[in-house]
Amino acid sequence: MEYNGGSVIAMVGKGCVAIGSDLRLGNQALTVATNFEKVFPVTDRIYIGMSGLATDVATLREQFRFRVNMYTIKEEREIEPESFAHLVSSTLYERRFGPYFIEPVMAGLWKTQAGEYKPYIAAADLIGCLNFAKDFVVAGTASEKLFGVAEGLWEPDLEPEDLFETISQTLLNGVDRDAYSGWGAVIHVILPDKVITRTLKGRMD
Amino acid sequence: MNPMNTASHPQQRQFNPYTENGGTILAIAGLDFSVIAGDTRQSEGYNIQTRYAPKVFRLTDRAVLAVNGFAADGNMFVKKVKQRLEWYRHAHAKDMPLHAIARLIQTMLYARRFFPYYVYNILGGIEDDGSGAVYSFDPVGSYERETCRAAGAAQSLVQPFLDNQIYFKNQQPALGTSHPAHLPLPQVLRLVIDSFTGATERHIEVGDGLEMFVVLAKGHDLAGLEGIAGLQEMSTKSDGERIFVIRRELKKD
Amino acid sequence: MASDGGAYSYSLTVFSPSGKLVQIEHALAAVAGGTTSLGIKASNGIVIATEKKTSSILIDDSMLDKVCVICPNIGIVYSGMGPDFRVLVAKARKSAQAYWKIYGEYPPTRVLTHEIATVMQQATHSGGVRPYGVSLLVAGWDVNRGPSLYQVDPSGSYWAWKASAIGKNMVNAKTFLEKRYNDDISLEDAIHTALLTLKEGFEGQMTEKTIEIGVVTVPTPAEIDAERMAGPNDRPKPTFRKLSEEEVRDYLAL
Repeated sequence: MEYNGGSVIAMVGKGCVAIGSDLRLGNQALTVATNFEKVFPVTDRIYIGMSGLATDVATLREQFRFRVNMYTIKEEREIEPESFAHLVSSTLYERRFGPYFIEPVMAGLWKTQAGEYKPYIAAADLIGCLNFAKDFVVAGTASEKLFGVAEGLWEPDLEPEDLFETISQTLLNGVDRDAYSGWGAVIHVILPDKVITRTLKGRMD
Repeated sequence: MNPMNTASHPQQRQFNPYTENGGTILAIAGLDFSVIAGDTRQSEGYNIQTRYAPKVFRLTDRAVLAVNGFAADGNMFVKKVKQRLEWYRHAHAKDMPLHAIARLIQTMLYARRFFPYYVYNILGGIEDDGSGAVYSFDPVGSYERETCRAAGAAQSLVQPFLDNQIYFKNQQPALGTSHPAHLPLPQVLRLVIDSFTGATERHIEVGDGLEMFVVLAKGHDLAGLEGIAGLQEMSTKSDGERIFVIRRELKKD
Repeated sequence: MASDGGAYSYSLTVFSPSGKLVQIEHALAAVAGGTTSLGIKASNGIVIATEKKTSSILIDDSMLDKVCVICPNIGIVYSGMGPDFRVLVAKARKSAQAYWKIYGEYPPTRVLTHEIATVMQQATHSGGVRPYGVSLLVAGWDVNRGPSLYQVDPSGSYWAWKASAIGKNMVNAKTFLEKRYNDDISLEDAIHTALLTLKEGFEGQMTEKTIEIGVVTVPTPAEIDAERMAGPNDRPKPTFRKLSEEEVRDYLAL
């Protein structure tokens, strides 16, 4: 986890979810790039963030893209957040004894039978043990700090703009105390009809 | 290999004089007050040794010391600081000023540079000029005066939260306004409680009980402290600086 | 040598000049010789039913299972060769569990049908094997498409049906179903229609011992949402189930 550094976080809001990452890519203590996003779209309403070894982040991004595309074609439908979380979990567990060094964080919305959208977040360890949380999930080199700040700032039923502010403050203040994460952040707030994406400047050091 | 024949192989044994006893401490300075807090759980590995082991101690009517790390060293260190403060009182017929206590602690810690007290100290109280102050130390005496500081097992959880809420890091003031340099006492107490409930939720070594010491400058009104349940006054006289302690329960799981 | 295939009937992978694979024709003949099975899709569920025939009264017919549960939301019935069906059931169940291991839920009916059909198609051009001598009716429910009924043939081709019949009496049964079927038939009516259809050309007495019935029921929206919020220790509520002998007897009595 400390080889390339980086952190990701996802939070639940009222009828919305948010997910974000820092932008640093390092080679141990040396910063190599400051525009390395770790969060990727899966469908219009599901995003996945991965922290850890950058080469595995890239490999798994393509692996998940492949598997989700195959699912979409075979099943003639878009994958749902729960199914995707299980797909991520089983993909990682395939490499139980030679794992990919990443910790995924997922955020999405699922449609109830009544037609409203409910938030869904999940995280997993590097071999795919899922953690379904009701509030927030974190991963990466700043995970302890993110837990601490999120525990203080997060509250239930945040509206999209308030959720954006909460996740942004959590991420920026968390990574500011982590030498391996930082250099700004990118945040996606997933709403039923659109996704709001914003790139943030931080301490930039 | 013959178990009786141990002489043929070199063997190594080591005594480790230190352990880590968990817990977290935290101090925040106000304009004319200071809050020093710590949880009361003491653990070793996954075992809880006790749910009530104080880590925060009144030194004088204007100084409170919080110690975290190796509990045995912490207790011995506090005992020795208290002894030095008593000698000072006998020699000078007054309590040692806060900044002087800070320097004394540095000297005492550095004296053990090559067999240190395995403790992180945070000293809080009121300076001679009546301002609230917090001094934080590393185990060998390097120290600094700050507005706020967290130390111990959940330092990494609490400190970034404090950066955000006390120093207003990553927050921009509304146009034409500026962030306050010091927060009022009720808000500081709220932040301390939030910090510890958060740390208790996510860190196994934090919990059980919370002790918050409040040091008020001379002539300071109680500023909302009156209504707080379980408030206990620790000061020896009512016309100087005053010290109160507030005790709260934290989750025990 | 088979009378109709001539020289081409030896290898199942060799086309006859008319473009037919005669081994598949033979497999279909095996199906047409099997006992009749049928399925009807109702507005609020599906029924699949079959005639259970034993060659001797000495056989313990409680051992025979012609309607099989594949996973909690899917069941199948067959006409044709019993042992071939048993093998396909085992493969289908394994496939459903493999899907569950990946996605944490059981496969939609169409996906499972596709999997079974692929297995059956592979047997039409693999070395050292013969086609499966069965046709299947696959009935299931999933969030995506609701209740659906598929028929799979030995060639590996499959279609969705509102109502279909396979086996010995399939032609008559289908004609009967065409007359009786309408789009807003209820599940209860469909079960009775299924029994009436089986009665046409039924040899011997129709009892709870000689009939097997499976039904798909549609969960309420609240049940569907509850299912999705279920934890890892909650078992899915089945939407496909076999009717017990008592239930079959009650339907026959009406």
